[in-house]
Amino acid sequence: MSFTHLHVSTAFSAHYGVSWPDELAGAAASFGADALACTDRDGLYGTVKHIKACLAVGIDPIVGVDLAVQDDSGRDTGRVVVLAHGGNQGNGYHALCRLISAAHDGTAGSGRGSRHRTPGVTLEQLARHVGTPDGGPALTVLLGPMSELGQALRRRSYAEARRLAGHWCTVLPVGSLAMEIVSHLSAPGENLSTAHAVRMLNLAGELKIPAVLTNAVRYCEEDGAATADVLDSARALTALSKLPDLQPSAQGWLKAPAQMQALAREIVQAAGGGSRDVHRLLSMTEAVADRCRMDPYQDMGFKHPVVPEATVIGIDGEPLTELLQRCETGIAERFGGISGRAEQELRDRLAHELGIISRLGFASYFLTVAEVSRMITGMGVRASARGSGASSLVNYLLYISHVNPLAHGLIFERFLSQDRSTLPDIDIDVESAERHNVYQKIFDRFGSERVTLMSMQNGYRARGAVRDAGLALGLPEDEISGIAKQLWRFSARKFREAMAEKPELRAFSAQVEQNQQLDLLVDLTERLDRLPRHISMHPCGVILGDTSLLDRTPTQPSGLGLPMSQFDKHDMDPMGMLKLDVLGVRMQSSMAYALAEIARIHPNKEAVTAAGKHPVGEDGEGPSYIAANGTINLEQVPLDDEPTYELIRSTHTLGCFQIESPGQRELVGKMAPRDFNDLIIDISLFRPGPMQSDMVRPFLEQRHGWAPERFPHPDLIPVLKETHGVTVFHEQVLRTFDVFTGCGLAKADEFRRLLGNEEAEPAVEDYFRKASLDRGYPPEVVDTVWTTLKSFGSFGFCKAHGAAFAVPTYQTAWLKAHHPEAFLAGLWQHDPGMYPRRLLVAEARRLGIPILPLDINRSAGRYLVERVSSETGEKLGIRLSLADIFGLSAAELQRIVAGQPYESLADLRARGKVSKPTLKRLAQLGAFDELNRATGQRGGRAASRTDLVYHLDQPTARPVPKRYQPIEGQLSLPLGDLELRNLVPVFPEPTAVDMVRTELDLLSIDASSHLMESYAPLLAKLGVTPAKDLLGLRNGSEVMVAGIRVATQTPPMRGGRRVVFISVDDGTGCVDATFFQEAQERSGSLLFGTELLLIRGLTRRTGPKGIGLQALEAWDLSDAASLPLPGNAVRPEPPHVRTPAASSAAPPAGPLSTGELARRMAEEGLDNRGPAEPWLAGSRSSRA
Amino acid sequence: MGVFSEAVEVICSPAGQPLRLRWQGRSYRIVAEPVRWYERRKWWAEELRAERGRGAGLVDHEIWRVQARLNGRSQIRTLDLSHQVDADRWRLIRVHDAVRELSA
Repeated sequence: MSFTHLHVSTAFSAHYGVSWPDELAGAAASFGADALACTDRDGLYGTVKHIKACLAVGIDPIVGVDLAVQDDSGRDTGRVVVLAHGGNQGNGYHALCRLISAAHDGTAGSGRGSRHRTPGVTLEQLARHVGTPDGGPALTVLLGPMSELGQALRRRSYAEARRLAGHWCTVLPVGSLAMEIVSHLSAPGENLSTAHAVRMLNLAGELKIPAVLTNAVRYCEEDGAATADVLDSARALTALSKLPDLQPSAQGWLKAPAQMQALAREIVQAAGGGSRDVHRLLSMTEAVADRCRMDPYQDMGFKHPVVPEATVIGIDGEPLTELLQRCETGIAERFGGISGRAEQELRDRLAHELGIISRLGFASYFLTVAEVSRMITGMGVRASARGSGASSLVNYLLYISHVNPLAHGLIFERFLSQDRSTLPDIDIDVESAERHNVYQKIFDRFGSERVTLMSMQNGYRARGAVRDAGLALGLPEDEISGIAKQLWRFSARKFREAMAEKPELRAFSAQVEQNQQLDLLVDLTERLDRLPRHISMHPCGVILGDTSLLDRTPTQPSGLGLPMSQFDKHDMDPMGMLKLDVLGVRMQSSMAYALAEIARIHPNKEAVTAAGKHPVGEDGEGPSYIAANGTINLEQVPLDDEPTYELIRSTHTLGCFQIESPGQRELVGKMAPRDFNDLIIDISLFRPGPMQSDMVRPFLEQRHGWAPERFPHPDLIPVLKETHGVTVFHEQVLRTFDVFTGCGLAKADEFRRLLGNEEAEPAVEDYFRKASLDRGYPPEVVDTVWTTLKSFGSFGFCKAHGAAFAVPTYQTAWLKAHHPEAFLAGLWQHDPGMYPRRLLVAEARRLGIPILPLDINRSAGRYLVERVSSETGEKLGIRLSLADIFGLSAAELQRIVAGQPYESLADLRARGKVSKPTLKRLAQLGAFDELNRATGQRGGRAASRTDLVYHLDQPTARPVPKRYQPIEGQLSLPLGDLELRNLVPVFPEPTAVDMVRTELDLLSIDASSHLMESYAPLLAKLGVTPAKDLLGLRNGSEVMVAGIRVATQTPPMRGGRRVVFISVDDGTGCVDATFFQEAQERSGSLLFGTELLLIRGLTRRTGPKGIGLQALEAWDLSDAASLPLPGNAVRPEPPHVRTPAASSAAPPAGPLSTGELARRMAEEGLDNRGPAEPWLAGSRSSRA
Repeated sequence: MGVFSEAVEVICSPAGQPLRLRWQGRSYRIVAEPVRWYERRKWWAEELRAERGRGAGLVDHEIWRVQARLNGRSQIRTLDLSHQVDADRWRLIRVHDAVRELSA
């Protein structure tokens, strides 16, 4: 007889389960089991993965949950397992989903230790969900050793246990209760001992409750027990040595049937039973298993796409008819007056797309997305479609996307084809500041029964793992923090490997040799790697369904308060769920902000045209994309503006979407884009794949005319012309397949997806070779073309993605070229990019834009563009915002801004009700300097900022008695500020260095001058070259540079040696320094820990306007004694320097090869522009 | 009750149940059905490594409580033996108070 495990936690039971669903299903199948349950704690987090794993190994999935039971006051009384019955058209599964959602109702969205209740159900709730309308139970409840009853028996409180059992039997429907017998063979008296199991078994027999045997599994094999211990410690936030309720033994693994049968015999014998009793226990287990076998398709709607009912979006008739009508309307609007061949082409394309949509029955899907899109635009929120959705003409006609697929040769099959029955992805970027409003609106529009947010699993990475491993071992917190800081982007699983290879871990490695506890720390860190820690709201996924949605997924509150599904993005397709990606993009908010500032500061169209140096046109009216009131419609700005491309070619693209990273600045410098298509190509090229397969160099050479264009075959000229014969886009792969084999584009996309798949690729190759030879292509051409397709693998870029991305890239560059003040104000306000804000402040300084200091009467709660007069006439500056002052509360900010202007400090105290520390900080930051100048002066010298700060630091005078306080509305005498006027000037103004320090402390930006200016004398002594002067140097010159770290990037180690890229800013610009192995060895812990760096290196030219540095050595600039100054001892070589095997291994000082550039892009994380993790794109990657 | 740890030799039945043991050069016969359980260890304090793939025996160890006597006339003693399964090594870890055991 086989044995079915009914109580199994997977790794998706956060901080509890150890093993992944596929390990467990694989092990069960190998034992000959034909079913396996997944009963994660508190939810169905691992369920869909479990289903997939079971289907893969051909066993029946059983679905359930391990849930806390609570009394009426919300106190946990114990835990039970609840299993869904299968084969009942989903009744069991639906009841389980609803039960779990009820268990989470009213719990906190996230965070440990909050005041909200924890997930759980009362017995009455449980009973309500167990029954079905037609009477029979839909769920089976397993009352086990950790239930209230089980714990009573552990204490031998037999009477209480009988009372509880009686109560449960009365409340729960007949046939829905079973006793769960578990023995982890722990010591007598402990939880989960055989004696404990015996008492459970005896009580079950006495009360005629069916008994089943489980092993309450937490790990697949014995080895997982130690990991489970560490997870228990992390869950309780308590060191192992202080944890009172560790698992009593390490027997909670997925035991084989023979072992479970032996266990059954052991328990039954201890209970005084015989072999018939053993048989009864085991066969009851199988009977319960049988009624819980899930049919994923019939019970759970597996692979069955569900979209909202058409009636919800106001369509009563046939959705396809409606879709047709809307497309006609779209043609009239988007393509007014089209005729002839163009119209024919358009009509053919539309008929083609509609044919596929109709065959798949996805008409209402498109209408749904169109509705969401329309709704967002209707809210006045900037939105831009991204992703392969841009490949569809229907999307363009429905205003879902804004790229004309016909103009850019985008292929519908890349988005949707008749061979793929899964719902396609359509992604919409919206202003990040408006995202929550958009979500709320979607809930309102479709109804909360049809909408839920998607969740994401957050797994352990190196730093989190080392922290929790350290906690488990009871290591001091600061020691752990110190170690965690040294960990830099490697998988925790490879900790030991990393210690051997990475220079920054050298010191730690040495420590490990000394300290045995650290050896354990490394082992435990490796064990935690990737294990899920908790779920959180996915940054963009919204799930839309019909009224059955909440029967198909359990939900729980998200951090936002809106409900969130327990399923993540990997679960969407299997569960037939329609997911919309509505991604909040800070850059969109920045752009919206910039546009609003432009309209605010300039009175009308004429002023905007003049300020932005926009073409006035022949009629002198100015461009049509600027409205009379000065509002710019960014979507209508033509894509051929020359100053914009000039700016991009200058490589001064900090702040521009997608092209601000060091690697991209290098690439745009080399490529020198001239038009919009160039931008699409640039964005598509900037990926690890194209770079590694050497697509960039030939592309650049042919583009610049240094090498002739080459096409493998004339038939491919139309396909590859735009990229000079180099295959860059998915679309080109599809067409190449189609041209050579005549397979059709849908089939071609299938082939493309199989490229790089070791198992499937050979069949594709066979087909390709055979079909193209049959069509008469010469063997050597077929060879060449196949090699290209193969090396292209699956990493090329979808041109539709590139086109969608290029739009905001162009728009940000356009704003920077024409309205840099408003653009930078938007960047400071919303902080969208990969760099710290202070670098963008430095960029303003570089551009000569005045950075206006904080002023209590002029600064608002945001960064305002302001007119200032200078010697050269009036210009625009940016006023610093009060909002980013350290420690200033939102309420204070609101009061200050509401009360402006103030005529005295007393006035500010009275009306702004500002706290004393805030007052002092405002003074330190110079917010009162202007007030002081205006009113404080009396005859001679005015008091300094230092005087004022000193004054405000004094103990507060007693408040004026109530009766002398001014009454509401009483006007004060216009005396000016007596307090300021009476200040006796004693101290000098703070030095520039002090001011910058204060600003960095309180604002995190250096506003009055660049931090590096205070190092000027030191830098002069060291002979440091400013960033702006590097471009004038010869390639390979040895220089010293210095600056503040603004970005640090490391590509993933892929067999090869790691390269570290560090960008520093010295106030005149950015220097991008490349550290190869030897330089890393020399720099050691400075690589990641130091803010102010001095770097010696060789210049290397990257393009007409681009120059970088190959680093040789680095120092900590703030550690004066270590610097290579005359008088300082020469720094000894670090003791562990491994001399590279051959010095030739160090790369030459010449220009960076494309391979090296490729590594740089890998580490810039640009893969995330693909569909895999779209929300990361454009968000910050790494910050120093 | 004495608590210590000392290597012993144990002879088991084919099912793995202890039958006899050799302790301090003398041979004891196990006279009653032994009791077996698993007891957890403070592995984080006792072990130097806990690497992934280490397998069984890190977090708990098998304990057998046996009643043994030298010969028909000598007193029965209750002993706790720990069994390190992977290496098949046995250690005597507890000798229970004989008087109390006998009176129980």
